Amino acid sequence: MSLYYKNCLRARWQALSQKPFFRLFLHCTDCIFFGSEDAHAGDVDIGIGAVFAILAAPGTFVAVGLLLFKYSPLTHYILHETHFNTYVVSFSDEYFFIVLSFTAAAAIAVWKWDSLVPDRRDYGNLAHLPLRRGHIFLANLLALLFLAAVASVDINLGSSLLFPLVACWTAPSAGYIVVFFTTHLLSVLLAAIFGFMAVLAILGVLMAFLPYRAFRKCSVYVRSALLIFFVAVLMTSTSEPKKLDAIRSAISWTRVPPTAWFAALCQWLRGVRDPLFPPLAAAAICGSIGVLLVAIGAYALSYRRCFLRSAETMVILPAGGGVIARSVLRMLDKTLLRSPFQRGGFRFVVKALFRSETHSLAWIAFTAVGVMIASNNLLLANAKPDPISQIPSAVVLGVPLVLTYFLMFGVRLAFEIPSPLRSNWMFRLEVDPATRQCTALAKRVMIVFEAPLLIVCFAVFAYLWDWRIALIHAILAAAMAFLLIETLLLSFRKIPFTCSAPPFKQTTIVSVILYIVGLFAFSAVVPPLERQAFRDPFSSAVVIVILLMLWWLCLYAAHKNQIEPDRRLIFEDTLPPAVEVLDLTFRR
Amino acid sequence: MVALEARGLTKCYYSSVPAVRDLTFSLSEGEVLGFLGPNGSGKSTTVKMLTGLLEPTQGDVLSRGDRIERDLIHYRERLGYVPEEADLYPFLSGWEYLELVGTLRGIPRRSLEKKIDALLELFTLTPHRYSAIGSYSKGMRQRILLIAALLHDPPLLILDEPLSGLDVTSAMVVKNLVKTLGEQGKAILYCSHVLEVVEKICSQVIVLRKGKTIAYGPPAELMKAAGQASLEHAFAHLVEGGDTAQIARDIAAVMKAA
Repeated sequence: MSLYYKNCLRARWQALSQKPFFRLFLHCTDCIFFGSEDAHAGDVDIGIGAVFAILAAPGTFVAVGLLLFKYSPLTHYILHETHFNTYVVSFSDEYFFIVLSFTAAAAIAVWKWDSLVPDRRDYGNLAHLPLRRGHIFLANLLALLFLAAVASVDINLGSSLLFPLVACWTAPSAGYIVVFFTTHLLSVLLAAIFGFMAVLAILGVLMAFLPYRAFRKCSVYVRSALLIFFVAVLMTSTSEPKKLDAIRSAISWTRVPPTAWFAALCQWLRGVRDPLFPPLAAAAICGSIGVLLVAIGAYALSYRRCFLRSAETMVILPAGGGVIARSVLRMLDKTLLRSPFQRGGFRFVVKALFRSETHSLAWIAFTAVGVMIASNNLLLANAKPDPISQIPSAVVLGVPLVLTYFLMFGVRLAFEIPSPLRSNWMFRLEVDPATRQCTALAKRVMIVFEAPLLIVCFAVFAYLWDWRIALIHAILAAAMAFLLIETLLLSFRKIPFTCSAPPFKQTTIVSVILYIVGLFAFSAVVPPLERQAFRDPFSSAVVIVILLMLWWLCLYAAHKNQIEPDRRLIFEDTLPPAVEVLDLTFRR
Repeated sequence: MVALEARGLTKCYYSSVPAVRDLTFSLSEGEVLGFLGPNGSGKSTTVKMLTGLLEPTQGDVLSRGDRIERDLIHYRERLGYVPEEADLYPFLSGWEYLELVGTLRGIPRRSLEKKIDALLELFTLTPHRYSAIGSYSKGMRQRILLIAALLHDPPLLILDEPLSGLDVTSAMVVKNLVKTLGEQGKAILYCSHVLEVVEKICSQVIVLRKGKTIAYGPPAELMKAAGQASLEHAFAHLVEGGDTAQIARDIAAVMKAA
């Protein structure tokens, strides 16, 4: 019987997939998922299953964590909490899941920014076929809505199943759990769809109202700004419920981020009586409908304005850069860039880092996270004023180090993202595989990215405190930045962007943990010591110097231990074979 | 019967200089019309207007006496088009791409699959049919485009540089195919820079320069009018490309310069 139904389903699916419109819809879904005009074979490619698993993982893990540490019967037994109001206790967790859902869905839309609307390649392949233009529009719109729905469900799948069960273990009835589950699900799904559609609306409005060239130019900045905003929203995930209480006296939906609307909607649906919730819940419902309508409208306009005019538009790159850029390059040619390879390579790398959206987003996003963490630290430090104001606090001293860490890490990560590999033949042809200049090139690019940060840091510290403090701090930050660059480029043997993306290695997880510990060591251990050194120069300064020397010695030893084959230039990053076959035959 | 006709076609982009100016010609069934011109002469713009991808600023494109905009869908059902650039979806395999095009054209599944397999075999792409297009060579992509244009047996073909990237054997196959299809009564507009081929397979030739028609007629008459022995020389004479040998010597001199 099941075989019969299986065959029936298969036959229906085949019949459906033969219909041109449905086939077009499937194709549009593929296009959104698998890439835009700029995507090429050899680029970073993650399978659908992996993406779905990655999206579902954070919510699921947090729900499991809440079971273990917050809602476990043992914890409540120890704390003698046998009776409590689940709606009140779980509010902060509810808010966290809503923020997670909102930011993850919106981040997907930012990630897929270029493939959300049909592009020039779609035009070239589809426009001459006997299809109504409205059908291409409708198929792509349906594919977008489908993707938004699938992403929203996937992000919240694990958490929506686990969280209500975890939070409601003392619930008086099954109906209570059902209400909790449905209100939670509705809120997180609405938040996700709101986030996705808001990004689509921004994209559509920009495409509809800006000239194509202007849109392409500002696209990367808008994406970066959105990422910064999402990181900021994510950081409210622990503080916003408290803030909601703080603004209770002046209820206004404009004073809280959209995620708070959905948290309020959730509580309002559960019947929690609070004057704060109804206006915010109304904002959530109206906002969702409004954003959906604006997104569809702007998308339709942009389709009409950009897609249907694809044959008339042309991508023009900026020519040569401005006078300042040319002067800086000339100066670098004379000072930092010593060989023709370094000069040519530097221009190539910097242009890719600024012009390619994927690459610029990688380093800008990391820097944005650094900016958010540094600002958060500063805000927290301001809350607790420092008794000795002649010397900057450890948090303030740590700001340039946090920024350096994230900026350098972002640039280093961007180096690993390949640009179209079919274009790397020029480097394969021209560059000697035994060259040692690839690391030197990458190092110079990172130094040039770091230099403005150090200069600004020196100027700010000199203005706010003393030029001697500024100088000492700048020298220390420069030394640490240099050692960080050396560490990040330890096993680097590629020309940036010309090598295939690195495969997942067994050491990858260890590396990630090391980088997190590294951030702590880099930005949290040294600043208090440095501050101490300003007050008591000898003891703490010696500790800092010893620490830096130890770091340098470790790097030196690692360099020494590298064997020759590990230093050769590569264009394909592959895993070594599981079994190495040794050629032990005798030859005469 | 006239399969395709252009009447006073003009296209102006954002700048005031028109890319194509007052272009008029007709293409009958069974005729292969060569469309020639140096780079930037307006060939691709014309082809886009003929396929309905671009709206002319002035003038009309007619198919069987009707303006194509009146029923663009019906016109495109009868059109096979090979674009200038093989910008295909790199994440699809060759077979999947053809299946997509065939399904969107409404070809029944069974005959579509048979046709795709047979054409892939004839174009020697069977071993690569399930490989991603991203890994195809230029010639392989071009063959996929040719198959996509032929799948639905269209009475009108617009081929923009169909030999681009093809190896000698494939190029010969395509050359003979164009000839055969012309003899079968299909109307073919053939854009190319390979003038030897144009001379052999085209019954009429149009030469464009700076968007204007500077010659229109059978290749033999064009050669006669220009007083040249081959179409290549007649073309160079018509478009005033300058002394090509002298330009080559100048390039070599610049290369040697310090």
